[in-house]
Amino acid sequence: MSVSRFLKTIFLITSFSILYVYQQTEVFRMAYVGQKKLTAYEDLLDKNSVLRYNIERNASLVHISTKISGNADFQMPDSYRLVRLTPSGQGLKTAEQLAERETLFSRIFGVKRQAEAKTIP
Amino acid sequence: MYIGNYRSKCEAVFLAFFIFFLLCIARLFYIQFFRSSYLASIARKQHNLFVELEPRRGAIYDSNRKPQAFNIPADSLYASPNEIKDKESAVRALAAILNLKPDYLRERLDRKKSFIWLARKITPEQSSEIKKLKIKGLGFLKESKRSYPNGYLASHVIGFAGTDNTGLEDTEAYYDRYLRGEAGWAVFLRDARQKRLDLWDSMVLPKDGYDVVLTIDEVIQFIAERELDKAYKAHHAKGASIIVMDPHTGAILAMANRPTYDLNDHNSASKDQMRNRSICDLFEPGSVFKIVTASAALEENKVSEEDKFFCENGEYRVANHILHDHQKHGWLTFRQVIEESSNIGTTKVAQILGPDTVYRYARLFGFAVKSGIDLPGEISGSLKEARFWSKTSIGAVPIGQEVGVTALQLANAISVIANDGVLMKPYIVKEVRDRHGVTLKKFFPAQVRRAISEETSLRMKKILTGVVEEGTGKLAKPISYTAAGKTGTAQKLEANGAYSHDEFVGSFIGFAPAEDPKVAIVVTIDSPHPYYFGGVVAAPVFKNVATDVIRYLNTSRPPSEELVLNAAQATD
Repeated sequence: MSVSRFLKTIFLITSFSILYVYQQTEVFRMAYVGQKKLTAYEDLLDKNSVLRYNIERNASLVHISTKISGNADFQMPDSYRLVRLTPSGQGLKTAEQLAERETLFSRIFGVKRQAEAKTIP
Repeated sequence: MYIGNYRSKCEAVFLAFFIFFLLCIARLFYIQFFRSSYLASIARKQHNLFVELEPRRGAIYDSNRKPQAFNIPADSLYASPNEIKDKESAVRALAAILNLKPDYLRERLDRKKSFIWLARKITPEQSSEIKKLKIKGLGFLKESKRSYPNGYLASHVIGFAGTDNTGLEDTEAYYDRYLRGEAGWAVFLRDARQKRLDLWDSMVLPKDGYDVVLTIDEVIQFIAERELDKAYKAHHAKGASIIVMDPHTGAILAMANRPTYDLNDHNSASKDQMRNRSICDLFEPGSVFKIVTASAALEENKVSEEDKFFCENGEYRVANHILHDHQKHGWLTFRQVIEESSNIGTTKVAQILGPDTVYRYARLFGFAVKSGIDLPGEISGSLKEARFWSKTSIGAVPIGQEVGVTALQLANAISVIANDGVLMKPYIVKEVRDRHGVTLKKFFPAQVRRAISEETSLRMKKILTGVVEEGTGKLAKPISYTAAGKTGTAQKLEANGAYSHDEFVGSFIGFAPAEDPKVAIVVTIDSPHPYYFGGVVAAPVFKNVATDVIRYLNTSRPPSEELVLNAAQATD
């Protein structure tokens, strides 16, 4: 084997070895980076779970009832006491408010009862 | 001479090196062929870390998908006692944060171990306070902790899971096979500092547990518990139970007992608090059992509503036993016998029917047999076969004595009348879903048998409506709705086998609205004082629960759903 061929072989082997070592160090470096990100992500998820639990607990009927005075039960309203909310351009409005809104067209052509004057006995 | 000496020295050195070389070869041979597996295993332990991957335990939801139980992450605190320098100050600081006794911590930190638990699953606040102390030798491991946002609500239905996330009571125990999931494992690589890297050699992912959706409605449960709690406290009772059931399907909408306990603090609860009295406690039902006798009489066409019975002015001998009514009555129609809850009138009806028929109908209504509800610990109740009845039994069983029932069996029985005569199997879980919301198993209403005809149930509905309108159950009439039901006041048995004159079980079973029943409700109050009549202590609970629950069911369209729907229309 000539010296130049020997040197070429050595050079190739060395290059591949260096590349392999570099690849391994990169893999480990990225693992560390990934681990850090994963920890941060898991922390956020954990915080989210705890927050969700706190929200559920604070919004529970049991919690609300303990906050209300013992003498004042909150009871189910009859349907006539309920107000239906619907979204509109100006935010939430009651369905009745939206129904009452008149357009120019409906004001001119709408059929309405005439105001009646009544005599007071 | 000099050369010869030099040669022998060289040979000696060469020999020494040669022997050393042979020893090395021998050692290498030994290591390679005899010690290789042992040393390789040590190396593997140093490079690899076996980690069990905990699955996510499934959540428990109510029928409106409101979470009742789910896992939240929690830190567990451990110590390496050898690494802690100032143990005394560490004990003082930790005791204050963890609310633990200093002696307990001191004893643990004095142990000669490299790892010891100090506190499992502590709160996030405690964890962050301890981290701020920066004590060397303390560490945290992440675990998950079962949490119950509603505390005591539906505690006897939901149950709880232990420290290792295994279900121990009620739904948590009964459906543990669905909830727990399957643990996975992974072999991670470790770096030179023994820190875990997220590079794994091999891994089996854990299978998360499935979510369980209950038939319980959180709002109905709250209403039922609120009213039960008031009665339990006002009447100084030993215990109390309530069941709200959909009579058409057998779905349990609410089930509660007193005394109760907070699911988040189950370690400090007693066995008595944990017991689900609705399915585990046996009691003589008293007059509420008369619905069985009355239904049997109508179904067998032995009596009609207007047939008259002489109620002996309050005293009637059956064999060697004298039967009493709580109020003296003369002639009463069959309808009035039930409305006024006359023991004597009911016994006379039963004497017409005979023991065999009464026993047969008791079984048809689901007594003396387990209902098959999907909760652990249900008992079957007790009722002697008719051939074993004594001569006095015909004056006892038809009025709810010599028979042991559970509150759930009563709920089932009253549902038979409410749903036109069919005995339904009660159930507590509606479906099992995976974490993405895909339904894996659905539980449907199951009909056990037809107990009475539709016509008989209609006639019974009218009679039981009379109990609420005219009879002993007037305090059970809901505001602005109709109701039907039956009161019961049963003497408890004393230790010597005699009936007590101080201890009673007051109960009310009924449904509302009477013409189109939406809910069947059973209320039992154990040993109330000073008032003990079912019509006084249990009927008002029925009234308040029925009123609120029917209002709720009539207006229970969730507002959020409506907003979403409207928003979708707006964008269209």
